[in-house]
Amino acid sequence: MLDQGGHVTCRDGSTGLSSTGSSSTGSSSAERAARRRLLKAAVFPPADGPDQIPAADRAAAQSRVLAGTVLDASPHVLTILRAGREERLALMPDTKAWRGGPADLTAVGAGDGVVVRLHPSRRGVAVRIWANIGRVTGVILERNREGVVVEAGEARGCQVIVIPRHAESRIQVRFPRLEPGYLIDVIGLRRGGIIEGLIPATSQPTYRADQMLRRSPIGGRPMARIGGSATWHEPAGEPDDAEGVFYSVLDQDMGCGEQLASRPGCVRMPYLSIGSLLEVRNECTGDSRVLPVTGCAAVTRLFSDRCVTCGTSPRGRVADLALASFVGLGGELERGCFNATIVTGP
Amino acid sequence: MTPQALPSLVNELRELQAPILAVMLLGACAAKITHAVQTHSLAAGLGPTELFPLPARRPAALIVWTCELALGAALLVTVPPAARDGTGALDGAATDGARIAATAFFVVAMCALIELRGRRPDVGCGCFGDLSTRPVGARSIARPALLAVAALASIGGPGLHMPRTGTGAALLLALLCAEFLVIALLSPEAGEALVRLGYSEPCEVRSIPARRTLAALHHSPQWPQRAGLITSDAPSDMWRELCWRYVVYPGRLDGAEADVVFAVQMKPRRPVIKSAVVPRPAPITSPADQTSPGNQTPPEDHAPPEDQTPPETSADIGAAQAPDEAPADLAPGTVPLSAMPVSNTL
Repeated sequence: MLDQGGHVTCRDGSTGLSSTGSSSTGSSSAERAARRRLLKAAVFPPADGPDQIPAADRAAAQSRVLAGTVLDASPHVLTILRAGREERLALMPDTKAWRGGPADLTAVGAGDGVVVRLHPSRRGVAVRIWANIGRVTGVILERNREGVVVEAGEARGCQVIVIPRHAESRIQVRFPRLEPGYLIDVIGLRRGGIIEGLIPATSQPTYRADQMLRRSPIGGRPMARIGGSATWHEPAGEPDDAEGVFYSVLDQDMGCGEQLASRPGCVRMPYLSIGSLLEVRNECTGDSRVLPVTGCAAVTRLFSDRCVTCGTSPRGRVADLALASFVGLGGELERGCFNATIVTGP
Repeated sequence: MTPQALPSLVNELRELQAPILAVMLLGACAAKITHAVQTHSLAAGLGPTELFPLPARRPAALIVWTCELALGAALLVTVPPAARDGTGALDGAATDGARIAATAFFVVAMCALIELRGRRPDVGCGCFGDLSTRPVGARSIARPALLAVAALASIGGPGLHMPRTGTGAALLLALLCAEFLVIALLSPEAGEALVRLGYSEPCEVRSIPARRTLAALHHSPQWPQRAGLITSDAPSDMWRELCWRYVVYPGRLDGAEADVVFAVQMKPRRPVIKSAVVPRPAPITSPADQTSPGNQTPPEDHAPPEDQTPPETSADIGAAQAPDEAPADLAPGTVPLSAMPVSNTL
């Protein structure tokens, strides 16, 4: 379970925080992805598609999110350590903070891991701050006095959710079966290797993870655009503000080696690979971005839920975004999802 | 049609409602049971049962099934005129009782769907098992309302008799078709069922093992054309993207290292195969390499791509050169390029 460092050990001995799994991290994977795109373009010269996104749009969107660790916090200035550099951000009276719930700016303190959304036009001004936010999505392995142990995929291994007494009823209304084999998706405060579960990110599916519903066939029509919900995941062995998307249908022969990937998913989605580009559109804000597939999101295949951030999305999770990409697309982390459409290219 | 025939037609139409309702109820019950068998769960996907506490969902689902089965059977066996006229085992009271109960059932169903739409807008009605996964909308609510009216209209009607004239029979048949059409228009399941009937798997989701792709490639006319360039039996990289699987072999072109890339269409027989040859980027030599002559050439995966702009054709590939300067904005995950360094150790 928990060792002295707060790390979680699964029953099979793998360690939750140290495992790199199948997620594509590091420069070598990025180079391989770039090489793949080059080779693909040699066979199929590029036409209009996600590859052709204007570079200015990408740069503008990329600069709107920062993630790092708070070095110092005052009522007007937040100093964070990001990629080994100090960055000072101005706090305005209307800057909102989240730390387990809507919080005053003074609640954010030194040592907190923060994700900051910057003002779209004013440089260095924070609009929204999330402190120590974390999320655990996966299949429940066991529940005991310490908490709920969750298999969160190869990239994250096992994680533990501790549900405080004041959040118990809220969690159990949406997740009535905290039993092995059932799915869970909870947002809360990260404290080292564990999450203090505070907000249910969805409603628990009635089926066990190994009793997934049969997929609805989609006919022979093209699958260029797929609607559903986009969720977010914490960085696993990658920089806090890494961009990208974990995709649920990677080629099983060469891509996602996770056991969960062999199970039928809720939505039929086309096959992609690490390095493929995907356009993700936030249907609630209208923002869209082209992101590379950086990892396998086998567990998201198992959720057949809908997002109701703005209207009701089609069923199923179509993209599991990196935290920075989710915020950059206008998502609110504590809501857990936004209605999204993905475009898989020509 | 004479004015005298009109009341007779209306009466026959009233009597036709009973078998129509029976078909609807028995069909819905069969679809729910099929869905439960597939998911190994009694309550899975049955919309209104989501309104109940967890322990009550299974009994609620069983009650719904029982009601549908019992009402469907009762409506069916009371259709013959003998049941209405009291000459059979059943009398008119039983006939009307079944129809009153059916009316009450559909009214309750309509109210439950209204409640479900308000409290769980993301859940489908589950009326016809996994065909009813779309969120409850106005159509889903209007359908039980229409069926309740139909059941109400059938109360006290005469027994069902065959029309005496061909014109009357044709008119009755036309009205029957019109009613089924209205019910189909009010049923979101109709579209889903039509999709399933005409289902053919798109190539983007078609699963074809990698060994079959390799076998198809090795037996294709493109293989001998490129085989002379290939220096290894095993592919150095392979990935799947939408309708194509890309296979890369290491090779040599004009004495320089190159990648021979094949794109194989995801088609069970006679797939289209395209190919190209792309020179590998020259290895970057670090200062440390320059001082230690024994260092090996770094592997391809750790070298940045030579050029982000793909050659137009495979014939032009040998002439592809690295740009002098890296582009200012790159897609996320793309490795920024710098000017090609010149190794002093060579």
